[in-house]
Amino acid sequence: MKVRFNVVKGLVAAGMLAAAAGASAQEANTWSVSIGANQITPKVESGPISAPALPNSLGDVSKDTQPVVLFNYYATDHFSLEAAIGTPYKNKLYGAGSIAGTGQLGTVESLPPTLFVQYRFFQPNAVIRPFVGIGLTYASFRKETGSGKMTALTNPGAGVPTTFSIDNKWTYSGQIGATWNINEKWIASAAFAKARLRTDLHFSTGQYQHVKLDPNSIMLTVGYKFSL
Amino acid sequence: MRKTSYALALLAAAALAACGGNGPSAGNQTFATKYSQQVVFGDSLSDVGTYAVGGIALMGGGTYTINGNNTSVNPELTGKNYTTLIAAQLGLPVPCAAQTGLMGTASTNPALNFSVPVTFQANCFNYAQGGARVTEAIGPGNAALAAPGALTIGATTVPVVTQIANHLKKVGGKFKGDELVIVMAGGNDALELLGELTAGATKAGGAALAQSLLQQLVPGTTNPATAQGVILNAIQTQAAKSSDATAIIQAAIGAAATQGNTAAVANAATIGATAGAAAQAAGLKFQSDNAASLVTKMGTAGAQLGVLVEQQIVANGATHVVVNNLPDVSISPSALAQSADTQKLIATMVSTFNAQLKSAVASDAKVLYVDLATISHDQATNPAPYGLTNTTTPACDLSAAKNPLGSSLVCTGKNLIAGDVSHYMFADSVHPTPFEYALIARYVLEQMSVKGWL
Repeated sequence: MKVRFNVVKGLVAAGMLAAAAGASAQEANTWSVSIGANQITPKVESGPISAPALPNSLGDVSKDTQPVVLFNYYATDHFSLEAAIGTPYKNKLYGAGSIAGTGQLGTVESLPPTLFVQYRFFQPNAVIRPFVGIGLTYASFRKETGSGKMTALTNPGAGVPTTFSIDNKWTYSGQIGATWNINEKWIASAAFAKARLRTDLHFSTGQYQHVKLDPNSIMLTVGYKFSL
Repeated sequence: MRKTSYALALLAAAALAACGGNGPSAGNQTFATKYSQQVVFGDSLSDVGTYAVGGIALMGGGTYTINGNNTSVNPELTGKNYTTLIAAQLGLPVPCAAQTGLMGTASTNPALNFSVPVTFQANCFNYAQGGARVTEAIGPGNAALAAPGALTIGATTVPVVTQIANHLKKVGGKFKGDELVIVMAGGNDALELLGELTAGATKAGGAALAQSLLQQLVPGTTNPATAQGVILNAIQTQAAKSSDATAIIQAAIGAAATQGNTAAVANAATIGATAGAAAQAAGLKFQSDNAASLVTKMGTAGAQLGVLVEQQIVANGATHVVVNNLPDVSISPSALAQSADTQKLIATMVSTFNAQLKSAVASDAKVLYVDLATISHDQATNPAPYGLTNTTTPACDLSAAKNPLGSSLVCTGKNLIAGDVSHYMFADSVHPTPFEYALIARYVLEQMSVKGWL
């Protein structure tokens, strides 16, 4: 984690220094670095946990908000690229369907880095510039952590705690948003993105569960523009 | 050079730190609710070895499932009862039988010796006993039900009411309040009542058979007054040997022939059919006349169990009482071997017992009423999601040659039917396999989790 933050700090610092060279609106061949927060809300449609299980044993996943650093490269007056780095999202897993009410059964950290290609409307110096984007997403999961309850519901009394893993997936995302050119240097952006994300949970008991996560993401950022 | 290696080592350490612990892990396996011990009252479904002594222990048995650790054959064949699994999951000691011993037939052959002194185990708190009923002292397997001189294991069948009293006596009259108490009973009340019904129907059928035979045979004899006694004697003598109707009919006709009813032998088929029909009708009439009383008695037993839970367990300080209702016995191999009417009767007996039990305990916050009846019924009709491969065939080979008791009590990995029985529902005609016990443990724990008891 420390390594990651140091890299982030370095990049931001570099960006700020470079920005001193100066530039203006989001015109061709300019950059911006923004920081803000991103809330990811999985829209869960869970399949049942495979046998042996109580029929219709479903799952639910909580939302989470994490800080994010956003890099935009404005290749032309209208087309831009966007990439973000940030800390992993911490999601809680709950029982649903026939096992609703059992409470938190596990946690997982997720990170869905996405490279967006964006089209920005209006002129580069317009105060408000709406945009749409389409992106390539790599949804990755780590630190899948079980619990006594998860073991109780899957393999009680065997002395073997149940663990699980979630498949990482390449997928795509769509995005709409708007950027407010506060002044020559500063921008503020709001964006809504939705990813198509279906993946599988694999339990150490040999059971599996297919889930549709299709997360919604709402990102609010403030940034600084510059050209290299 | 040295500097470079140091930097490389640092980098490697950083990389390890970044990667380490990013994979799946078990997390916290403990629970918020801490229990001091598990206390169990019930019957064979919760029994962890009351009868694991004498000949039964020598045969490798002692619990009502596929006994023994056979996980080397299949991971599901743990031999464990659901109470054992729940205790292990909650970090509690392995449950053991509070009372052990058998009051059956003694034998110099150790494998057939079922006379072992009853012993009370001071540090064991699972009071469940195979054959135990709610309040009635005599349940299936009890020596009192065996014919004189017949082999019997002499199950002690201490009823739940006495089990609870024994525990209270042991602990000074009060629960501490941090025990997990599990109660499950009623199955033996159903089996015993059904046994009584069958016996009554057989008796009524036998009486009707004799009456019909006398009515048909006596008038044709030379001296009806004498013949009446002779034919009746022939019927009773044969009936004492066997309840086989054909043999009784033949004996009666033979006696009638000696009394001058020459037409009897020629008309044997008609006479037999008439008498048989009369016997069957009488048996069915007895069943239908008495079915309602069985349902009533089951309702009473359910209410009594509810009263025991409230007035003897909760009122004496227990705060976490899991009350498993009576599983749907009507889907068991035992019930499936009976007529559709009897199956329907069993289903009604079970639902009546459970309705009474539920109304007595379900509104109590200190009681968790677990509806195993619905789950077991669903398992029989929809086995696949549960991982069950067979819900109708006993996994144990219950033939006399392989299983002298015809019960899962002495079923082990060595006397199973052929094939993979690891995911069967039933070990014998009524008792679960270890896999089904694991499903029960999971459901009870799931319900405990929802109740906030984990």
